[in-house]
Amino acid sequence: MNALNMKATSSTARRAACTALLILPLIMNAQLDRSKPPVPAQPPAVHVGEHKTFTLPNGLRVIVVENRKLSLVSVQVRFDMFPIVQKKHANAIELMDELLAAGTAKHSKADIDERIDRMGAQLATGPEGVYASVLSKHLSAMLPLFADVVRNPAFPEQEFQSARQRMTSEVKQRKDDPSAIAEAVGRAAIFSKSHPYGEIATTKSLGTLQREQAAACHAKFFRPEIGYLVFVGDINEKEAKALAKSHFGDWKPSQRYVVVHEDGTQTLDGFGEVRFLDKPRVPSGPRRVVMVDRPGAAQSIIRIGFPLNLHPKDNRALAAQVMNTILGGGVFNARLMQNLREDKGWTYGCYANLESDRFNGYFTASASVRTAVTDSAVAEMMKELERMRTTKVTTEELDLAKQFMAGSFGRNLEDPRTIARFALNTYLNELPKDHYSTYLKRLDAITSDDVQAAAEAFLHPDNAVILVVGDKNKLQARLAPLSWNQGQPVMELDADGDRYVETFEPVRDRTAEQVIERHLEAIGGRAAIARIKDMRMGLSTEMAGTPVEVMQWYGPDGLFRSQAKANGAVIQEEIFDGQRGLRRNAMGTVELEDHDLAEVRFNGHPVPELHYAKEVERATLSGRTSIDGKPVLKVHMVLFAGGTVGDYFDEQSGLKLRRVELRSRRAAHGDHHGL
Amino acid sequence: MKTNITLLALMLAATATAQRSAIAYTEFDLDNGMHVILHQDNSTPIVCVSVMYHVGSKNEDPTRRGFAHFFEHLLFEGSANIGRGEFSKHVERAGGVLNANTTADRTYYYEVLPSNQIELGLWLESERMLHAKVDQKGVDTQREVVKEERRQRYENQPYGTILLEVLDRAYDTHPYKWPTIGFMEDLNAASEADYQAFYKKFYVPNNAVLVIAGDIDVAQARALATKYFKEIPRGADVVQPSVVEAPLKGERRGVVHDRIQLPAVVLGYRIPPTGSKDYYAVDLLNRLLSSGNSSRLNIALKDQQQKAVATGAFNLPFEQGGLAILYAIANAGVDAAALEQAMQAELERVKRDGVPKDEFAKLVAQLEMESVQDRSRIAGIASDLARCHMLMGDARLVNSEIDRYLALTPDDLKRAASTYFGNDRVALHYLPVGAKQP
Repeated sequence: MNALNMKATSSTARRAACTALLILPLIMNAQLDRSKPPVPAQPPAVHVGEHKTFTLPNGLRVIVVENRKLSLVSVQVRFDMFPIVQKKHANAIELMDELLAAGTAKHSKADIDERIDRMGAQLATGPEGVYASVLSKHLSAMLPLFADVVRNPAFPEQEFQSARQRMTSEVKQRKDDPSAIAEAVGRAAIFSKSHPYGEIATTKSLGTLQREQAAACHAKFFRPEIGYLVFVGDINEKEAKALAKSHFGDWKPSQRYVVVHEDGTQTLDGFGEVRFLDKPRVPSGPRRVVMVDRPGAAQSIIRIGFPLNLHPKDNRALAAQVMNTILGGGVFNARLMQNLREDKGWTYGCYANLESDRFNGYFTASASVRTAVTDSAVAEMMKELERMRTTKVTTEELDLAKQFMAGSFGRNLEDPRTIARFALNTYLNELPKDHYSTYLKRLDAITSDDVQAAAEAFLHPDNAVILVVGDKNKLQARLAPLSWNQGQPVMELDADGDRYVETFEPVRDRTAEQVIERHLEAIGGRAAIARIKDMRMGLSTEMAGTPVEVMQWYGPDGLFRSQAKANGAVIQEEIFDGQRGLRRNAMGTVELEDHDLAEVRFNGHPVPELHYAKEVERATLSGRTSIDGKPVLKVHMVLFAGGTVGDYFDEQSGLKLRRVELRSRRAAHGDHHGL
Repeated sequence: MKTNITLLALMLAATATAQRSAIAYTEFDLDNGMHVILHQDNSTPIVCVSVMYHVGSKNEDPTRRGFAHFFEHLLFEGSANIGRGEFSKHVERAGGVLNANTTADRTYYYEVLPSNQIELGLWLESERMLHAKVDQKGVDTQREVVKEERRQRYENQPYGTILLEVLDRAYDTHPYKWPTIGFMEDLNAASEADYQAFYKKFYVPNNAVLVIAGDIDVAQARALATKYFKEIPRGADVVQPSVVEAPLKGERRGVVHDRIQLPAVVLGYRIPPTGSKDYYAVDLLNRLLSSGNSSRLNIALKDQQQKAVATGAFNLPFEQGGLAILYAIANAGVDAAALEQAMQAELERVKRDGVPKDEFAKLVAQLEMESVQDRSRIAGIASDLARCHMLMGDARLVNSEIDRYLALTPDDLKRAASTYFGNDRVALHYLPVGAKQP
């Protein structure tokens, strides 16, 4: 076998080791048996540490986890918020987050930044709270600043302007960031854009945002009566109590309430109309494919997903996590990873993620794969989802997943913040008090039946949204069969998650014919092209491991022949003599008719543009657009034989960069010039 | 003036040590030349078993660029006693995690396991060193996996090729010229003989350090390390490349068109080897420029001039002399030339005016925080011990490296800025495809 095989070295080494043992019988270790993994000692006890908790009179609940190992303290404030549909103010909450540490009544942004850095501390804001980490010697200096950021952000006008500008730049950046597109459009496709989890900021939505809306979100949600203050590290309950009282004790509970109007609409002062998520979205609609086009992309990003009604306190949630681990969560030995990476070599990694969430859970399976295997990869991923539902997992798989999860649980306890996270989850999700102390026992009890039941309840391949961010021209037709959406098998979206509409800048100084003429000149001119007697073109590639070759011959008077070979054997041939055409393949030999005949006649010239007068019923110059940043002109053509063709010509060089053919026989609408 | 600053640094050094206790460890060599470092910390019942090999992409044959990293993938395929796909199963079935990573200078493998599984980690790592094995299916599959890794990390990411473009221009003859991920045509050309030779040459105990850290008993860990590794035969001494790269002499300027919306400016400067005094000085300079919201590039380019949406400065820590890389991504409507001017102005300011001592104290405070945070995970301590021993020549630096920073003065930073951030550099403008060149 062509393999890296170091056996010779090994047995020599082993012999040497054995000899040494014989000569030196004093060595206590018994001969090392390398053929089997060593037997482990008794598993160590995993101890979930304690937390202390108390509530201030204003309703702020304080959680303290003492751990003196490092001279470090982390402080967090977290609010019990519920998701709102921000609608045209999408991202008001994100704007609030951007501005929390951008100035208070007492401190400017520059002042806050300077003070934090002087302590070597970290301060991070988020849409649901604020986090800081600091050496214990600086804690008392940090806390007033921390409390000020949480309680008194001033949302200064100038900082608002620059934050909005920065967010707008980020939205623009997304257009060329395939992972960011997959993330944002994936959420929109799974939850819909009118769901709090599916909203996407656009340059338009950011343009209408006002600082008052960010301030209104703060007034509504950053209140002590729905807040948790969490201390972890080099601090005890008594010290935490003193700090909490002195910096948050005088914070009055004064939440700004939503007003319900007679017509049922609800408004928040300073924010405008708001809607709440009334019930979780559940998997629905037929399996469908959505694409965001990335012409010439090095890879396709695949994201398969659906929303779930899965609350963390659902007693099937743990079995669902075990199921997800076996399918594709975290372990290298998960089915998706083993199939798509270790067996096929299609991807660097393929993962599944199943989130329980008190408002709306969801499932996603993701991978980045090369363009050529994209449809096969989607098919395999769907197959794995299906297989989880229909067949029981093996004992080996179940044991590995459970052991791995138990190990992760133990490893996570290395970080004392884990204990605080457990406490916070317990309160926010109303979990039983012993939820985490019984975790390992409950995990151990999960059976393959539980796993299959969880797969049936929480995997919905039939309702899945399959998002592919990749090269549409190469993939659209191949992905269509994977969609069950008959009307529109592949729906194209833009980077904002909206239906894609090709837009053109109008071009009035030339006609479609002139653009085509320019192209003919660019490739040598009519006279030179007319002297081409024949042309031969060969393509070779590999499909599913089989070498495939395609040869095409172009002769005079529209004579054309093409031949496709797989593994050296002819699998299809087409011949056109200028009038009639034949196709020969495994199904037999047929005469080409109707659209097929028209297509071979249209494409059967070395330079079809030379013959447009005969083939094209009407041609329209759609206008100027761009391909890979280059300005291009699109000519839209309706063929006499039915169907339409769109050609894209580089405006500078005149060369053709892309052709899009549609088989639809319907004529296109719009202004046109005869050719 | 100078004395005062040194005094201040010393005082801060004293506080820094007060905030953290030293990492205690034991180290010894096996007869076959393998170095072993043991660190006991029983606070969480987990153990990290790791091996660092002194081989990276700089040890590659120039016609096999990317081989060291590719080989790292192959070394998960199995051994004489471990079948294809079983390596990770052993770890995950025991409740552990495993991974590896490769840089220009070294390759690092590790497992984090429940502490009763320490022996499993040692068995696996010793199997990997003694008689790794991979079949043709494994080679073919991992070659494709690495190609996808390259596409995912470098080709399908905006600005993803920055490192590749900078390295290629920053070096002419040194193997640091090519990126660790390598080139696919070179991996396609790799054959059986390459695998055999690379394994025999570099994966030998005298070119490795084993670190066992966490919930262990030192005496037992020492016996176990000996039990599993002593039979692995010593190899020939590994000779590190001795290519001496000539100074850059001038500016290497280039324009890279990428599928991006916002232009970016990237500057690359040669810096001295890791561990040298000036390496730390440049590292502190980078922090001055970009660490924290109040750092200079952040304040000037993002907050005040609003020319950038992101800025950064970091060292590529190569043992034979790496690079400092500075970058900024333009705000909408700002062109690369204006952005570069703004970056340059900040560099000139350090060279001209130096660093005020209160700003210097800020850098020290950040270092102090980092040095405490670095101790929060046992896996982080293990890799730091391996790095200090193998790449810095002394495991003791795990505790004392911070002193090398604290020994620096504001004047050292000013001098380092003038010495290293000069005109001999790589300067790249990343522009959207189709954008006109300046």
